Formats: sequence, structure tokens, C-alpha cells
Amino acid sequence: MAEFTLPKNSKIVEGKTYDFSTKGGNNKVFSIYRWDPDAKELPKVDKYIIDLDKCGPMVLDAIIYIKNEIDPTLTFRRSCREGICGSCAMNIDGTNTLACTKSIQSVKKAVKIYPLPHMKVAKDLVPDLKHFYDQYASIKPWLQSETPPPAEKERLQSKAEREKIDGLYECILCACCSTSCPSYWWNSDRYLGPAALLQSYRWLADSRDESTEERLDALEDPFKLYRCHTIMNCAKTCPKGLNPAKAIAEIKKMMASRSLETN
Amino acid sequence: MESKPLSPHLQIYRPQLTSVLSISHRASGIFLGTAGLLALVVWLGSIALGPSQYEMTMSFLRHPLMLPVLLLWTGAFYYHLSNGIRHLFWDMGVGFELSTAYRSGYAVIGSTVALTSATWIYAFFEVIVEVMG
Amino acid sequence: MKIINFLGLSFLKGALGHWWHQRLTAICIIPLSLWFMASLVGHLRSDHETVVTWISSPFVTMLMVLLICGIFYHAKLGVQVVIEDYIHTRGFKLVLLTALNTGALAGALAGVLSIFSITFGIL
Repeated sequence: MAEFTLPKNSKIVEGKTYDFSTKGGNNKVFSIYRWDPDAKELPKVDKYIIDLDKCGPMVLDAIIYIKNEIDPTLTFRRSCREGICGSCAMNIDGTNTLACTKSIQSVKKAVKIYPLPHMKVAKDLVPDLKHFYDQYASIKPWLQSETPPPAEKERLQSKAEREKIDGLYECILCACCSTSCPSYWWNSDRYLGPAALLQSYRWLADSRDESTEERLDALEDPFKLYRCHTIMNCAKTCPKGLNPAKAIAEIKKMMASRSLETN
Repeated sequence: MESKPLSPHLQIYRPQLTSVLSISHRASGIFLGTAGLLALVVWLGSIALGPSQYEMTMSFLRHPLMLPVLLLWTGAFYYHLSNGIRHLFWDMGVGFELSTAYRSGYAVIGSTVALTSATWIYAFFEVIVEVMG
Repeated sequence: MKIINFLGLSFLKGALGHWWHQRLTAICIIPLSLWFMASLVGHLRSDHETVVTWISSPFVTMLMVLLICGIFYHAKLGVQVVIEDYIHTRGFKLVLLTALNTGALAGALAGVLSIFSITFGIL
């Protein structure tokens, strides 16, 4: 049975409150999921009350402020702080997004922050992404072509051919979409999930790639592709505004039209 | 080493129109495909068995306590039908824009309410006609 | 040259076959089920004889048989996905899938036999 509740070791308990509010200040509560692999304790939610005038406008600014000024043990991934590296993907206010591009102001009440959903937690807001990356590798995310490139030239595409990978190549593999997908929650061991499938379609749609048949063959499986039930959490949550649900539908369409054709 | 906990999912993820409609499609499908189809077969069987069996089935279905179940059944039917058509458009690659998916979602709710109401208003007048003779 | 092959779809197996059959049955039962719902509401006050006369007409018999076959197959395919999604214990899954296939087949058979017996007076 798919587990709809959290396993025993994952139940969340109440944590500590760190009140760093200033009197009459622009105060806001941040409730943040904490789990320390060395503490042998259940995960907990710590509350940090901070004055927003002391930090930048984004959620990432706030948690960096908390780490620097209040609690240096708070652990999270971050790098570019401008929405291009995908490191700071986490669940903020009930949806997955990048902490660096999510403004604090857009959250009305307390800012609740959890790691990406239904993932093994390495520490605090850091999920274990190994399986996610393995699935990405499994779709062979590189150009496969038998035809050698033209001598001393690139493989050129027409403008129309190039446009086909718009909305696909922008994916930064932050894992927001896959970890927002209930179907991925229940079947991530076999379902590839929106991110890997969008990437797969990125190569299927590439005019220079010549292994379309092999790529489709590899996806023709009850679980890898067809666990997508068009729930659309992926499209709503993508911080880059991409639409993995549509990309998956395009793969299903390719599968279907392929089955209509006989030589 | 302590085994890693699983991060919360259903417990914390904010429901949205598309996900609620999706799980409703599943729920209505299961309801129609189990209880609904059982009722359909029982109804057909009772017609085959004869007038007294048919009357028995019909009086059971007409029992006031069955009213909410029948309402649920018609609602589930029109919902699954409307949302199923929405799915067929998606299968053709149409309607994936987030704004379109939301608009079609509201349209499905609207058509479910409209068709269910129309059916029950018609049924209500049929019954009135019967009572009035 | 490539030609469109619709007949091949009915023999398709596996995930792609499941996908196609789910959609094709859906398309078939949209008009059929709407027709049935409308007829059902129209027969709210009908007695046994009227209903039997209605079903016995060749056209209605045919549509009813198509509806039963299409709807049971569609339901079977749909519930199968739900079981595959949520049930991960191999043995239990197998039991449920077997029960589903048996139930759907038995239900469809009972429905079709009822229609035939109404139309042809077997009972």
C-alpha cells in the first residue's frame, strides 16, 4: 500500500522558538522543518521570529539571515540566489519553489518551510536527490546521432526546429515539479516524474537527435511514463514557468501516433 | 546511522483546483465503476427476472434514503463525463496552459452542476405528474 | 509509405494498449451513457412491461450491449490504474487485479445476458 501518512521515524514534533522580533518592528514568523542526522530525534519544526527590516526581500534572504545571526546549525542548499542554479528548491507556504525567487511578502501569514515533499531528508531542508539524478541520467540526456556533424560546422537547426525546444531547455532540474507530483510520491521508484520526462521530451523534440525510436521504446512501460495522470501540480509549481504536464502529453502523443503507423 | 526521515507531502502540500479535480475524477470513477455498475446490473437483471423483481428493485431505488445516493450517482456521472472530455482534450495536447486548465476546470464544475440540476428538475416534474395523476 | 492502422489498436497490448483502449472506450461511452441517462430519466415512471418493450427493440438492445461492454471495460482499465498506483505488495496486488478482472467480466456477462433474456425471452 502506498503510504499516505508519514512513517514512524518521520512524524514531526514541535520544536524551539527563537524570538528575535523587535518591538514595533516588521516581524514575521518562519516555521522551518529541522532534522539532524546526529541527534537521533524526530524531525521538528522550529519557529524563528525575525524583523524583516533586517534582511532582504526573499525567503532565501531570511533563512540566510537566520543562519548567520540566530542559528548557524540551520542547513539548506543555496548558490546563485537568482533562480538559475535550482539549489534552494524547497516547499514554502505549501508549494515547491526556489527560496531565492520567492518573496516573503507573497506569504500572508507565517512562512512555513519544509524540504521538497516525499523525499529522504539528509539534514533540515536538504533532501537526498540521488534517485532523482539517477532517473535524469536514465533518459540519456545528451544528443544521440549517427550522422556525423558537417565538416568544421555545427549541426544547424532551422528557426522552427529550434523553437521546438523552447519551454524545455530552460529546465534547471531543481526537482520542484517531480516532488510536487502525488503520482511521483507514490511511485517514484518506477515513475520517472515530470522533470525527467520533460528532459526526455527535450531530446525527443530536438531535430538533431536521431534516437527518437529508442527513446520512445525505453518509455513504453506502465510506470515510467504512464503514471502521469495530468494532475498539473508540476506546471503550477515550476519556478521557471515551464509546463512538464504538456511535455509528458506530447510524449504520449508521439507514442500514440507511432502506434497508428505501420510501414 | 539513523535512517533518514521522509519529508512531509500530503500533510503540507497546498491543494489546488487541478489536483482536487484530478482526485475527484478518480473517486467518481471508482464510485461509478463499482457501486454504479453493480446497481446497473442488478437493475437489468431484475427486469429480466420479471415484474415483481423489477418492482422490488425500483421501490428500493425510490426509497427516500436512496435519494442522496442517487444524487451522488448522477453528480459523479456528469462530473466524470465532463472531466473525461477535458482529459481527452489534454490527450490531444490541447488546454495545458495553466490559465486554460483552470478555466476548463471551472467549466467542468459548471457543467456538472448544470447537468445534474437539469436531470433532477426533470425527474422532479415527472414525479409531480405522477402524483397529480 | 506509412499508412494509418486503426485495426492494430484493438490488438495492442501493454502500457500503450491500455492507454489507447481507455481513450477509445471513453469516446464510445460518452454518447452511449448520455443516451442511457436520458432514457433512464424518461423511464422513471415506466412499469415493467414498458421497460421490457423499450429494451427489446433491436436498436436499444444493440446500444445497451455496446454500453455494457464499453463501460465495464473502461471501468476495469480505470480501476486497474488505481490499484497499480496505490497497492505495492505483489501478492495483494495480484489478488485485487484478479478480483477486478473476474468482477468486470462477470458483471459484463450478467448485464449482457440480462439484456438478451429481456429481448429474446430466454428466461
